[in-house]
Amino acid sequence: MNDIMRMKRRTFLAGSAAAIGAAGLPSLAFGAEEITFWDMVWGASGYTDAAREVALAYEPAAGLGEVSYQSIPWANWYQTFTSAAASRTTPAVSSGAAFLPFYFMEQGVMIPADNLVSKLDAAGKNDFLPGLLDAMTTHDGIAAMPWSMDLRVLWYRRSLLEKAGADVPTDWDSYIAAGEKLAKIGAVGLGIAASSTTTDAKHTISALMINNGGGFFAEDGSLDCVNDRNIETLEFLKECVAKKIIDPYAISYNSDNVETDWINGHIAMGFGQTGMDRIVPESERDDLQVANPILGPHGDKGTVYYINPLMMFDTTPSQDSSEAFLEYYLDNIKAYWETGVITDLPVKRSIAELPVIQNNPKLVLAINEWQPHGKTIAAQSNEAFGALNAVDGGNATATFAQRIVEGKSDSRKLLEDLQGQLEKIMN
Amino acid sequence: MSMFFQDTSTARRRRLTMAGLALPSILMMALVNGYPVVVAAVQSVHDGGLLKLGDFVGVENYIRVFQDPLFWKSLRFTVLFAMCGVFGSWVVGFALALFLRTRFPGSAIFRVLLLLPWIVPIVVTAMGWNWLVATRNSIMPQLAEALGFGPVMFLADPTMAVITVCVFKIWISYPFMMMMAAGALETVDQSAIEAARVDGAGPWNLLVHMILPMTARSTYISWILMTMFSVNDFPTIFLLTGGGPVNATSSLVVMAYRTVFQDFQPGYGIAITFVITTALAVLSLCLFNLIRKSSVS
Amino acid sequence: MSVNPAVSRKARQRATMGLIRLLAACVITAVLLTPILAVFWLSLRPRLYSDIVGPTLDNFRYIFVNTNVLTWTVNSLSVALFATVASLLVAAPAGYVLSRAKGRIVSIYAMSIFVIQSFPVVVFVIPLFVMFAAVHLVDTLAGVAIIYVATSVSVACWMMSAYFDTIPKELEEAAWIDGCSVLSAFVRIVLRNSLPGILSTAIYSFLLAWNDYLIALVFLRSDSNFTLPIGLQTFFQQNQTDWGPVMACAVIMLLPPVLVFAFLNRFFSIGGVGGALAGK
Repeated sequence: MNDIMRMKRRTFLAGSAAAIGAAGLPSLAFGAEEITFWDMVWGASGYTDAAREVALAYEPAAGLGEVSYQSIPWANWYQTFTSAAASRTTPAVSSGAAFLPFYFMEQGVMIPADNLVSKLDAAGKNDFLPGLLDAMTTHDGIAAMPWSMDLRVLWYRRSLLEKAGADVPTDWDSYIAAGEKLAKIGAVGLGIAASSTTTDAKHTISALMINNGGGFFAEDGSLDCVNDRNIETLEFLKECVAKKIIDPYAISYNSDNVETDWINGHIAMGFGQTGMDRIVPESERDDLQVANPILGPHGDKGTVYYINPLMMFDTTPSQDSSEAFLEYYLDNIKAYWETGVITDLPVKRSIAELPVIQNNPKLVLAINEWQPHGKTIAAQSNEAFGALNAVDGGNATATFAQRIVEGKSDSRKLLEDLQGQLEKIMN
Repeated sequence: MSMFFQDTSTARRRRLTMAGLALPSILMMALVNGYPVVVAAVQSVHDGGLLKLGDFVGVENYIRVFQDPLFWKSLRFTVLFAMCGVFGSWVVGFALALFLRTRFPGSAIFRVLLLLPWIVPIVVTAMGWNWLVATRNSIMPQLAEALGFGPVMFLADPTMAVITVCVFKIWISYPFMMMMAAGALETVDQSAIEAARVDGAGPWNLLVHMILPMTARSTYISWILMTMFSVNDFPTIFLLTGGGPVNATSSLVVMAYRTVFQDFQPGYGIAITFVITTALAVLSLCLFNLIRKSSVS
Repeated sequence: MSVNPAVSRKARQRATMGLIRLLAACVITAVLLTPILAVFWLSLRPRLYSDIVGPTLDNFRYIFVNTNVLTWTVNSLSVALFATVASLLVAAPAGYVLSRAKGRIVSIYAMSIFVIQSFPVVVFVIPLFVMFAAVHLVDTLAGVAIIYVATSVSVACWMMSAYFDTIPKELEEAAWIDGCSVLSAFVRIVLRNSLPGILSTAIYSFLLAWNDYLIALVFLRSDSNFTLPIGLQTFFQQNQTDWGPVMACAVIMLLPPVLVFAFLNRFFSIGGVGGALAGK
């Protein structure tokens, strides 16, 4: 309600400014065009209200445009953005899915963030966690600004492990051992959702591949699915399926199904977002714990993360306005973590050091132990690229994940098929 | 219609009026339906993304359609899905329409209640269905286990998923058939039925030899419409299974959608839809002519 | 009330049959509506991150306090009603032409209406969007309504034409002889006798517009313009969904069409078109 009042006030002010301008009286607001900020729904119901508040509290310097806030639903986000880009109706700035900026960079509808990064450097505000700006860098420049991170960590339910007499796993062998004990009491040892409408299972598979020093790509960015490390990872997953550590029902699970199973205590272990414990009532939150990173068969640590970007489009009325707003926004997003409306991790050291984060041992563990070993699904490539959208959201990887849960196919054959299909969509 | 074709000024004026009456629909379809079809046709002979047209590749995308094993798999499923959608929902809908014609207290309320599956947005009913069958602890698998069928994986087992999606489709579509059938049954000559009943015809005979032939035309039309609705039905499948597991429930429209919006290959995806549309148009025109002929005789 | 025993036995028999049928109807309806009852049940589930355990009406309180659910409902209704009226205005005359006119041009016209219906709209969303952006119809309820009219118009034309087929053309011809123009004969004689057909077509168009979510999702941007199915989307986060409020919205979404149907049901028996098709 407050927002609506504020909106009304602002439009009234804008209207009166226009009236003054029209009357030929000088006015500061005159000539600076408003810019639009699109934002996805990044957290529980309170997030959008909080984000709108931050965006609308922005007061531009003289000659720069004000900001209007627009919440964009996740459903069919790709259609939303591509249709906007095709019709040149993209906003000035926008948050979005992790690999969208790389695709748009290649399509030439965005403005790189290098200039903004040098502004932050000059102001001493460049405190992004190590590796993140590098991950956003392409040969055309920095594709977008990182602002938060979806990092996958291994969660477990303490009470279920105790009930099964299992220890918290430290490597793949002990993971299988714990999973077998959990299966005996009817609990799921690796909770995933592999339906074609979600990317959850793909994320877990990627996390395990990276955990074993593998991934879909070679260092030069070419496809490299069929390698020994990946085959080893698939063999591990096959064993999980055979020993009922992965629920056969999971092949058709959507994100709601897997969440419900976590809440009801059917799942004992699995990869999930940092902050996932907030889906259970306060009284049970202590029962859900983050494990230390587990060691792969060759002693590697690793997991997958997605860097949430802030993009700047070339449809902005003024690039200076876009950059000024983003600079302000990056300074003020800490409110989301202070009020707890967001599940993802911060990417700036100044936010990571906030008491609200430092007093949460699970988040500290995620930031200190897991994040340094994280990679994107571009692993082991050194640079991200637009085709990752299709790799992450496409049919090929969805079918790949489902065939893994089926547990009927030969691991090498699965990877060869995947490589063949990815070659087709990556042209 | 002879009156239209006398070469008099009134006849000419009548023809002009007719053209005027058809004009809004022609304009509407040319703009909102025609233009995107042309753009899409152009896209289907190029290999670009959604923002850039890319290079001209001629019929390469169309050749690829017929070489793709997933296309044939999806085609088979689409045929099965449409058959279930048409005949399954017709049987259920017709039976319910017959039942609702009988007299009992509150029948008007049931007439509305039984339309609900069609009225309630599919986004919502798909959630309800998912909740009933998705996990080991959902109601239906628990019920199946209690009845001694073991744990039935309604969505996770490819064969069961196909059955579940088809049943869901029947459930979504029977109200439409019920509506059509209810209307057709109103036109049935009651006195003829009564006469046959007095002659000792049983209910089954009445149905097969009297009621069904009398409503045949409406039935055929509802079949054609439902065939089109089913073949082009995207949300029913996508919201329940997304086309999985392992493409078991991937219909051609779902495949086209995923090709365009998940694999980002609009040229190929649109080529698939043009193949579907051509087949559908040919099929329904044949059926349509059959009906016209049968109704003329 | 003294009645002779034979009649009363018959009446009793009929009453018993009625009760048996009522029982059967209850069972059938209960089975068929289970998934919808599930939605009602799910709307009582506690929200994500809430500490409430067990069934609660909290979701309903939440959506009315914290979201624009009322605006969304009004938007949905106005779009659906506008689309219904517009679709009738386009389809009724077109259906009349299909029903009465003959000739090569008319067959081509009939066939193109037919073929256009076979295109899945999913794939043409982007070119449509580009076109609508050029004429500033994106993020307007009018733009969405226009697309709904276009997607429902071909079936609507058919339905109307099928109904007009049942109206004897001698009536119009008599009117022409009396000096009526084609247009006024169509309006005064044909349309006035086509209420069941018009209602059936209206229902079809209304439901198509009311239930669509794909088109609205791409074309609507601002919260104040959302229709209900898109309003639902605001509860869907990146990897999680707040199902409680979604289902509460769903329950709200159920009510208008159910009321519309319950109300209309008293005026006519649903399915005028099926009857029109069966006749002649």
